[in-house]
Amino acid sequence: MSTLADNKKLFARSRAIQRQQTKVSYLFLLPALLFFFGFVVFPMIMGIYTSFFNYTMKEFSFIGIRNYIELFNDSTFGQSVTNTLIIAVASVPLVMLFSLWVATVIYQMPVFSRSFFRGVFYLPVVMGSVPVVVVWKWVFHRYHGILNWTLSSLGIISENINWLGEAQYAIWCVLAILFTTSIGQPIVLYVASLGNVDQSQVEASEVDGCSKWQTFLHVKWPSLLPTTLYVAVITTINSFQCFALIQLLTSGGPDGSTSTVMYYLYDTAFRIYRYGYANAMGVILAIIIAAFSAFQFRVMRTDD
Amino acid sequence: MNKKTLTTILVVLLVIAAAVAIYFATKPAQEPKEAATEITWWAFPTFAQKDAKDPAGTYEQTLVDAFQAKYPNIKVKLETIDFTSGPEKLVAAIEGNKAPDVLFDAPGRIVEYGMNGKLVSLNDLFTDELKADINNEGLVAACGDGTNYWMYPLSSSPFYMAINKEAFEEADALQYVNLEGDRTWTTENYVKALEALHAAGKLTSSVYCMNQGGDQGTRALINNLYGGSMANADLTKYEVDSPENRKALELVKKLVDDKVLEFGPEINAGGEIELFVNKTLAMTICWGTTAAKINTPNMDFTQVWLPFPSDDGKPVLEYLINGFGIFDNKDEARVKAAKLFVQFLCDSEEVGKANVLATGAFPVRTSFGNLYEGNADYELLTAFTKYYGPYYNTMKGFANMRLQWWTMLQAYLSGNTSLDDALATFQTESNKDL
Amino acid sequence: MSTMNTMTREQRNMRSPYMIAMTILMVLVALLFIFPFYWIITGSFKSSAEINLIPPHWFPMDSTFAHYERLFWEPAWQWLFNSAFMSFVAMVLVCIVASMAGYVLAKKQFPGRLAIFSLLVAAMALPRQAILIPLVRIMNTLGISDTPWAVILPSVGWPFGIFMMKQFSEGIPGEMMEAARIDGAGEVYTFLRIVMPMLKPAFGALAIFTFIIVWNDYMMQLVMLTSRRNLSIALGIATLQAEFGINYGLIMAGATLGSVPIVLIFIMFQKYFTQGIALGAVKG
Repeated sequence: MSTLADNKKLFARSRAIQRQQTKVSYLFLLPALLFFFGFVVFPMIMGIYTSFFNYTMKEFSFIGIRNYIELFNDSTFGQSVTNTLIIAVASVPLVMLFSLWVATVIYQMPVFSRSFFRGVFYLPVVMGSVPVVVVWKWVFHRYHGILNWTLSSLGIISENINWLGEAQYAIWCVLAILFTTSIGQPIVLYVASLGNVDQSQVEASEVDGCSKWQTFLHVKWPSLLPTTLYVAVITTINSFQCFALIQLLTSGGPDGSTSTVMYYLYDTAFRIYRYGYANAMGVILAIIIAAFSAFQFRVMRTDD
Repeated sequence: MNKKTLTTILVVLLVIAAAVAIYFATKPAQEPKEAATEITWWAFPTFAQKDAKDPAGTYEQTLVDAFQAKYPNIKVKLETIDFTSGPEKLVAAIEGNKAPDVLFDAPGRIVEYGMNGKLVSLNDLFTDELKADINNEGLVAACGDGTNYWMYPLSSSPFYMAINKEAFEEADALQYVNLEGDRTWTTENYVKALEALHAAGKLTSSVYCMNQGGDQGTRALINNLYGGSMANADLTKYEVDSPENRKALELVKKLVDDKVLEFGPEINAGGEIELFVNKTLAMTICWGTTAAKINTPNMDFTQVWLPFPSDDGKPVLEYLINGFGIFDNKDEARVKAAKLFVQFLCDSEEVGKANVLATGAFPVRTSFGNLYEGNADYELLTAFTKYYGPYYNTMKGFANMRLQWWTMLQAYLSGNTSLDDALATFQTESNKDL
Repeated sequence: MSTMNTMTREQRNMRSPYMIAMTILMVLVALLFIFPFYWIITGSFKSSAEINLIPPHWFPMDSTFAHYERLFWEPAWQWLFNSAFMSFVAMVLVCIVASMAGYVLAKKQFPGRLAIFSLLVAAMALPRQAILIPLVRIMNTLGISDTPWAVILPSVGWPFGIFMMKQFSEGIPGEMMEAARIDGAGEVYTFLRIVMPMLKPAFGALAIFTFIIVWNDYMMQLVMLTSRRNLSIALGIATLQAEFGINYGLIMAGATLGSVPIVLIFIMFQKYFTQGIALGAVKG
């Protein structure tokens, strides 16, 4: 009898504690949620909503999914999606392999050299896209660029190449710059997760007479896997969001060959004032990225 | 340790509080309603500063001060914007109902905003006196859309070409250039000059088309070569697919393929002018009074100004009009104040003339007379003003047409698209909203 | 003892032919990464004639301050201050807001926790440009467009910091908070006295990370800031590519002014930064 009453009391008290905890938790969350809902969720809803409108400087009228229908017939949009995918698909493996290579090499170096190299590869990220792009634009300059000069004085090319003016080169120039600004973080991550590899297993495998490569493949690689997936996801998202680079370097040209969804969206909204249409592009892009987002969430859950 | 953390938090909070306080302290306090009318003026850097070292807006601020002295119950807030990001900024501001009251710009954007219902009509300012004084129908028409006038004009100036005289002399190409009279020249001589320069191992001129920056230069070149035009006669439709323009585009393509002309999808007019100024290119097709003023100190060669070459030797020039638009911010008092301000800037003998000179252009009011007496260069430009063509910059969908224009040049000149397809796309896309 | 062992191992490693070859290769690649920075700085001191020279001068022979003089006709110091102000305020706000949220998401059980966390993570992948146009509108409605706050507030809304702080907070031993509670400490006290000190490395990392992100957030600055004196330094440099001709020397001077301060800050705080990123992600 008394135990039941006690239990009840205990239960009531734990309920009270739980209510208290919930209140406290939400109070702590409040500032974050205010910012998050005010400046991320709310604009997102507005963006989706207005994508169903013929929304320009002058008009605001509901047109259903006509923006989306137009998008699927818009060849520039198609080209921009293709370019965006090309950039993402090309940069992910490149960034992954290169940063893994750099990380494994510098991990074996003394502390000072390790942080020196780590810093050097992070430099383009820190400098910011505008300084990085303007200097590369000058390096790629058709007439006075150091790249053309170097190649022609080495005898590799006989005539100046218009790096940013020809479709077959321009996209590679974009990729090259994107690459330099993408590998900083992956290297830091890989160096750190190499530190988490169980040394006794590595030594055991070396004692067993395994080659460096075998050790890497069987001992190190499995424990690097979560980091690798994480790197893949952040690199993909970075590639999808590449904007400043295009805007400052090529304006999407030549002939649309470097236009990305982000750039086309910006152009549509702020140059020809079609906000509704631009928002529809944003929604499509968000859907494409959502696939990767789900993937990302799963990756993070597995090592939680 | 704990104390330290607490102190850190306190310091951080203090810093935020201080930052917020500073921000609100530096923000001008809200004036009570019955006090002065406050209007905002956004200006592109069209006025040259008295001293080039003065930061942007110095000259404009003196105008504001003079105006406020005359009308103490009106406050003018000045914001200077630039050509690179200014247009997007304007769109963002209009979009968010935060448009300025007065905008100093050109008809292209102003009339577009007007037709989109963002401006107040200035029909009451366009008196017969003003129209008679301007005495140029095309110019007056350029300030409106046929029903309403949206822009109050101050000055105008033509766009033209410039060549590097020494480079032409070295290539023996100067013989093809007419240095007499209005300096008009023919397409035939233009091609001969290009070929002579090319034969002498010089880079001639670039058909730049990265984005809309300075795209009037390429349009002027192509329209002039065989007498084509951008739009139909009554300016209701963009009409580029004509035998004249086809011939011109084919000629340019051939010259590009022969490497006699450079094809520049990676540069805009700014990049082309850089190449002209540092003597990489022997000519520029996007010269104007502002470009000349800014770049001449860095040039160690002789520049010769020319009109665009044409088949019949009669060029049709693009031109720039500087003027003011007034946004409709739903406040009668502000509109009234803005009109007063605009008239103050344009009409009074003293301020108006000084402002025309500050734009480095020619007054639209003929009553202002010749402000550049004795300046040979400017007398040549005055002669150019009679070649002003129809002003299509105020047609509906102008911004979109520009996008289609450089897209078409890139598509055709890169060899990816046939002339038929490129022109067809231009025609449908640029007329889509008309 | 173990340190000694690794030292000798490292030394042994460094002398192997494989490592020597790799080190040389690494130095060469590193030079490629340093080169743009070097080229910006040296370019800013080259005269207008020297800057276009072919073959190029690897070092300015005819060095000049003319570009800097010209640069300061523009309100360049103001731009620099604006960038610093935005980055600093965003940094402080993010640290406070994110640590509070990250802590409860990691350490408290309450209804809606998983839903909120999932929403935050999902939003991290959202393309920020997609919400640009609505954001511009919101800032206008709030009356803060063309002020630093229009850039700061959306940066604080971005959930990366919360995510990072949650990962870190999970490492705080529960017993410590339990002990504090038994001692009768309040929630705020526990957070300030127990949790925050434990999160110190995370603060270091998140602070420098946010600072760099906001400093370099070109797109947000581009759409939010309008008048010339309100621009950020990145935006200012971009506007130097003028309509009436490009002056690479001037642009490089702007790029130097825009990148050297942030690079110095990064070098000073690199330790926290790399530790933080690594800890957060590897642990996560």
